Amino acid sequence: MNSYYVINLLIYAAVDAMACLGLNQQFGVAGVTNFGFIIFQAAGGYAAAILALPNQSANGGFQSYIGGWNLPFPLPWIGAAVVGGLIALPFTFLVGRRLRGDFAAVGLLVTAVLLNLLATNYKPLLDGDAGLSLIPAPLKGQGQFTLQSSGYQWAFTAGAVVLCAVTYLFVRRITASPYGRSLRAMRDNDLVADSLGKNLLAQRSAMLVTGGAIAGLSGGILVSYISTWSPAAWGYAETVVLFAAVIIGGAGNHLGAILGAVLVPVGFEEVTRYIPTSNSLPPNLIPSLEWVAIGLLIVAFLWVRPQGILPERKRVIKAAGLPPPGPASDANGSATTASQEPVASRSQPDGETILQVVGVSREFGGVRAVADVSFSVRRGTMTGLIGPNGAGKSTLLAMVAGTLPVTSGQIFYQGRDVTRLPAYRRARLGVVRTFQLASEFKRLTVMENLLSAVPGNRGDSFRGALAGRRYWRGDEAAAVARAQAMLVRFGLDGHANSYAGDLSGGQRRLVEIMRALMAEPRVLLLDEPMAGVHPILARRIGDELTALCADGLTVLMVEHELAIMDEYCDPVVAMAEGAVLAQGTMAELRSRSEVVEAYLVG
Amino acid sequence: MTIFLASFGFGLVTASVLAIAAIGFTLQFGVTDVLNLAYGAVMIAGAFIAYVVNQAGVSVWIGLVVAVVACAIGSVLLNAGIYTPFQRRGASPITMVIVSLGMTLIIEFSVQAIAGGTSVSYTMSQGPTVRAGGLVLSAVQFVVIGLSMLVMTGTHVLLRYTKLGKSMRATAANKTLARNCGIRTGQVITITWALTGALCGLAGVVFAIDAGSFDATATDLFLVLILAAVFLGGPGQAYGAMLGAVVIGLATEISAAYITPDYKYVIAFLALLVMLGVRPTGLLGASQ
Repeated sequence: MNSYYVINLLIYAAVDAMACLGLNQQFGVAGVTNFGFIIFQAAGGYAAAILALPNQSANGGFQSYIGGWNLPFPLPWIGAAVVGGLIALPFTFLVGRRLRGDFAAVGLLVTAVLLNLLATNYKPLLDGDAGLSLIPAPLKGQGQFTLQSSGYQWAFTAGAVVLCAVTYLFVRRITASPYGRSLRAMRDNDLVADSLGKNLLAQRSAMLVTGGAIAGLSGGILVSYISTWSPAAWGYAETVVLFAAVIIGGAGNHLGAILGAVLVPVGFEEVTRYIPTSNSLPPNLIPSLEWVAIGLLIVAFLWVRPQGILPERKRVIKAAGLPPPGPASDANGSATTASQEPVASRSQPDGETILQVVGVSREFGGVRAVADVSFSVRRGTMTGLIGPNGAGKSTLLAMVAGTLPVTSGQIFYQGRDVTRLPAYRRARLGVVRTFQLASEFKRLTVMENLLSAVPGNRGDSFRGALAGRRYWRGDEAAAVARAQAMLVRFGLDGHANSYAGDLSGGQRRLVEIMRALMAEPRVLLLDEPMAGVHPILARRIGDELTALCADGLTVLMVEHELAIMDEYCDPVVAMAEGAVLAQGTMAELRSRSEVVEAYLVG
Repeated sequence: MTIFLASFGFGLVTASVLAIAAIGFTLQFGVTDVLNLAYGAVMIAGAFIAYVVNQAGVSVWIGLVVAVVACAIGSVLLNAGIYTPFQRRGASPITMVIVSLGMTLIIEFSVQAIAGGTSVSYTMSQGPTVRAGGLVLSAVQFVVIGLSMLVMTGTHVLLRYTKLGKSMRATAANKTLARNCGIRTGQVITITWALTGALCGLAGVVFAIDAGSFDATATDLFLVLILAAVFLGGPGQAYGAMLGAVVIGLATEISAAYITPDYKYVIAFLALLVMLGVRPTGLLGASQ
């Protein structure tokens, strides 16, 4: 084993590990399935090449390319990262709220196939099929380093490994922050994250750009080492190799991504090196079988061990010195004020209209699920919404929350027209919903589920995450204290560090309600909060909500259990076939024949 | 004008091949809910099966029948052995796409491992050529167009007038509701895989006939055209796929006559991206 072999191995491992870290940040952490990942590495490679190469005529003129600025190190590598990040921007339109994740993935895959085709066929830009060669190595011939000396090679290797380590620290810093938690929440359930105030488009775009920059840098390092770059090096299938690495290593675990990079791209390269070549074998047999093996590995791992060799680490959060429920201790001043939810001011008189729905309709392919519904909700009330299945209750709730756009009509919140505001903006204004179907973030702990909803955490932004733990730990401690108090109040503190996906149905319901309360709502929209919850627990939830309403919270609640309506809700709105039938106390509704009729018939 | 008519003729043939493939793909996705990216790999496997039969000295049209049957069986097995177990375990749509991408590598490169990396062609006669103005079409190309029209008509009759077709539409619209209404959705899905697999095999062989020579990776780019046609019309929409195939087929071939042929896929690609960005439900799909 000579030193050239070791150097080669280390540099390839560093480059592949960087690429896998970038992909893992997108796919494993944020749930953005970028099947076009290789484009960004390719872009970085080309960028580094044309920045480092001299003008094409000065380079013998046998290849044609744009640029050729002959820039000194480290500008080509910086340029590679910048270009990799910038080239991600046009793709952000694919990853908004509108498009299903698998459709976006297909769009990116097709883009990778097509860009490769274009780069192959169009010669003037980047020398087409032949690609670029004689790309200068960094610091060529400067100082005491001369190219090919083993000292130079080792220095290059050290540089690549250090940059890989820096990348690891960088992605780990993001993932460990409150912002990283928001990314993982989005991965687990994007619709719910949206309804809790997370801007999906901004988060996904940030991840596309971040991953793109990392991929670009890895491409820059690679071309500086191998000194050539052509379309054959970045076929769409190379992305699949990186996906295989991340899945096998452990999606969501950055060390797993590094392990995967060593096992899959590097491992395959090394193993095939030792397969004896024989003339009796058909041509292409070994490379073909390599691809078959990669495909088999992906399918087999997704079946046998979908979490990978190193699964995502559970993030246990200890609530140190938690304040006893009730009047808060002064152990943590900021926690004290923060635990006074909701934030609605008590001085305002009850009874004013906080939410108004005017002539709202929703059609699904010609069927009117909600037809011209108008009603208003007064501050501090717990308003019930009843009606037979298919009456349009959940649809109405979704339109108020912004999860579903209205076909026509208007929605006013605190006198402001919010009809066109996306769900996350309404959530930030204080309109927060829960869902009829279980919607916990499965691979977040109960504590993390609650923390994910807390608004205004300084660490819950890309910049805040980069600023580091010291910058956001105050906010985080306050949020943890609030969450712990909430868990104690609802008797779930024993499960604080269990994965939410492992809880029982009733407990998950509870997590969802607590999470919604953590978002500091002024208007809380609950879709069958008591379904599947033990009656004693249901009563506890009802009592808590009543207490919060006395403090100024407003609740609009869909529920089938009429006993709950009787006890807690006043007024109650009755719907049938997409329209409001009647409104009043439960006693009043019971006396109205059309309401009873609708229920019996429905 | 001559160049336009000539490229129009090419466009008709491409559109015909594309329509067969796109109808199969879109029905598969609509009814079974699997975005099966391995569709292109199954196509090329079918093309090679017909090649093996053809090499044995038999007519390629017999090979076509063998490929259709083989791909139907293969697709049913692919679903029963791989996709259904994953779906039953609650795999997310994105996991299913990754699995299908893994299957793409397995199938496509198994074919390459067996067939080698070189291009091959069928031994067949193109038959007499018909000329009308600048339009030049061989008898074989007429057969391809005819087969495609047969598939389109057959799809229409199936979906509109047969009980199976209605069950397929019901399953596509709402699987749980369909099952509650007494439709045996499991059976419907298996039959759908057989039917769409047959279309996939047919598409593979006519694609290979149209291309003249092909290798194991030849459908990588054709899959882009299929996806463009499917998303243009709206994923899951059989009539949308027909419309999409005609538009994309004609647009790529006619544009190839005026810009260089190397870039003819760009139009399909742009159509796909615009549809994904602006109207992912497609031209014929319900609006959000």
